[in-house]
Amino acid sequence: MANIRFNNVQKSYGPFQAIRNFDLSVEDGDFCVFVGPSGCGKSTALKMLAGLEATSGGTIEIGGRDVTDLGPGKRDIAMVFQNYALYPHMTVRANIGFGLKMRNMDKAEINAKVEEAAAMLELTDYLDRRPRALSGGQRQRVALGRAIVREPSAFLMDEPLSNLDAKLRVQTRSEIVKLQKRLGVTTIYVTHDQVEALTMATKIVVMRGGVIQQIGTPEDLFETPANLFVAGFIGSPGMNFFRGPVEVENGRAVTRFGDQKVTLNVAPEKLSGTHAIFGIRPEHMVVGDTTMPGAPVALSLVESLGTEKILHFPTPKGQALEGDTGIEGSDDAERDAQTMLARVIDDRRYRDGETVHVALPEGKVHVFDPDSHVAL
Amino acid sequence: MIDFSSPRHRSKFGYLLLAPAVLLMALIIIYPILLSVDISLQDVRIARVGADREAWTLKNYDWLFNSGEFWNAVWVTAKMVLTVGGISLVIGLATALLVNQRFRGRSLARLFVALPWAVPEVVATVIWAWMLDSSFGVINWLLLRAHLISEPIQFASNATAAFFAVCLVMIWKGYPLMSIMLLAGLQSIPEEQYQAARVDGANVWKRFIYVTLPNLAPVIGVTAVMTTLWVFRDFAIIYVLTQGGPIGGTTTLSILTFEQSFSFFKMGQGAAVGVVTMIICAVISRALVGRFASSAH
Repeated sequence: MANIRFNNVQKSYGPFQAIRNFDLSVEDGDFCVFVGPSGCGKSTALKMLAGLEATSGGTIEIGGRDVTDLGPGKRDIAMVFQNYALYPHMTVRANIGFGLKMRNMDKAEINAKVEEAAAMLELTDYLDRRPRALSGGQRQRVALGRAIVREPSAFLMDEPLSNLDAKLRVQTRSEIVKLQKRLGVTTIYVTHDQVEALTMATKIVVMRGGVIQQIGTPEDLFETPANLFVAGFIGSPGMNFFRGPVEVENGRAVTRFGDQKVTLNVAPEKLSGTHAIFGIRPEHMVVGDTTMPGAPVALSLVESLGTEKILHFPTPKGQALEGDTGIEGSDDAERDAQTMLARVIDDRRYRDGETVHVALPEGKVHVFDPDSHVAL
Repeated sequence: MIDFSSPRHRSKFGYLLLAPAVLLMALIIIYPILLSVDISLQDVRIARVGADREAWTLKNYDWLFNSGEFWNAVWVTAKMVLTVGGISLVIGLATALLVNQRFRGRSLARLFVALPWAVPEVVATVIWAWMLDSSFGVINWLLLRAHLISEPIQFASNATAAFFAVCLVMIWKGYPLMSIMLLAGLQSIPEEQYQAARVDGANVWKRFIYVTLPNLAPVIGVTAVMTTLWVFRDFAIIYVLTQGGPIGGTTTLSILTFEQSFSFFKMGQGAAVGVVTMIICAVISRALVGRFASSAH
């Protein structure tokens, strides 16, 4: 068990900089998730920590020990791979015990530890099978078993759930979290799935283009995203964005949403420009409460998940966020700037084309600088 | 009219498409095999298809199992299979591991590794025959200059020297196939297995033993079978280099088959050697393929 520290780590492939100024401190027992779109450098960062990739600059410490120039076997870490990387010619028992065997541990002791790990993961009945005779979920547990049996100071996991089907993924997700809590081993977990990040992590590192965008708890990222990218990436469905003018009224900053005046929770002196980008999460939109100041919108589509409904309506004219803003939806393929979403939970029936009253509560509107995209 | 696209008749259409190939195979493979079995059971000197047949007899097989020539050929073949197979496996694996690494000029290195395989067997053997010549050959010259030997090695008249000369040329000609096959095998091993082994603390040697070799086992098996059968079958290298001599020192089963049939015109006996060789080959390949297939994942 140990803390992990990246000190200004760099990685470049020729002229291409894959990782820039990576500074991170993970405390002992943390469950830290690296999340970002593909190609953001999260896997590269993990491989540098594992010692499978060389750093181009900076240092890495595990438990206060500088491991930058140590081989993977000497870093006292265990890794779980996306495709499990089980040895196909070995039984489950041999697979789990391989790391101990490489460390010349006594055979009886290896066996005892393997049995113990297998019992923890409910693999006891499968110990003498080969990986090909196991289901995807069982293989995944063997890969986990191979990691925990070593009792390392840190677990590194590289998208370990992405080869499982949706139902198993949710189930295994909570199993991994429980296991990690029980063992208390510092864990670094890489995923492109922000839902996994939000549900599993005690600390999330959002990356993009080799640069850390924000580090924080799931709540931090959800409630106070540092910039437009993080705001759009975290949350499902993603945050709604619109452009709007910035005005000062009675000493308070306001903008407009359609014909509606929206009071902002930001000091007016912070808003230097004449306009800004605004964001509000679909679940923070208030629909149908006419006592709140709001605007009528016509619903273009209603998606019902039972009690929960996702209402689609057009972004007010001229306020859509056009052009390359660098925002990516995390799971919805294309973000449609012309459409906004509201997520409501009630038993009222909504119809396509219906006009409803939508309000943007004062404290829930995020403000971003129109040029730097930094949250204000 | 049968609708061949219907699920009921689809398989019939398949058989119909296969039929020409099967017939051709029967004609060029099955028929000659049956013919040689037939000849091996007749006491004939020069067999002629359509001529009056002799009565079936086991005389040829009786000669076979009681003659020193046959057992000598079996022994020579076995030695040659083990020597050539073993050494070309080692060289093939070493070169495959080498050209699997990333380095400057790798594609050129791969070309050179595969080169002997591309040279026609007879051409290669004639070149080697000159190089191995006891009076003019460059190999004897080199060994003499290096003071490793005091007089030229008589590759043509010394049975041991002749055997190793044949093995040398066969290895030179045979290792590229091993190398190419093993390289393909190496490239199909997932990189993650090596990464997992490294994280588990396995050093280079242990990664080779526990990851590379087990993953290569099926390919090694298939390649071993192919090389074994090739040594059994090969005629050109031995015949051009030594003609099976001296005194049977390099007479393998295929050389013996040829000698009996076309030098001594005892085609019945030649056919008997051929039939026995075929049975040995079938048994060996069955055993090897079966074994490695079960060890494969």
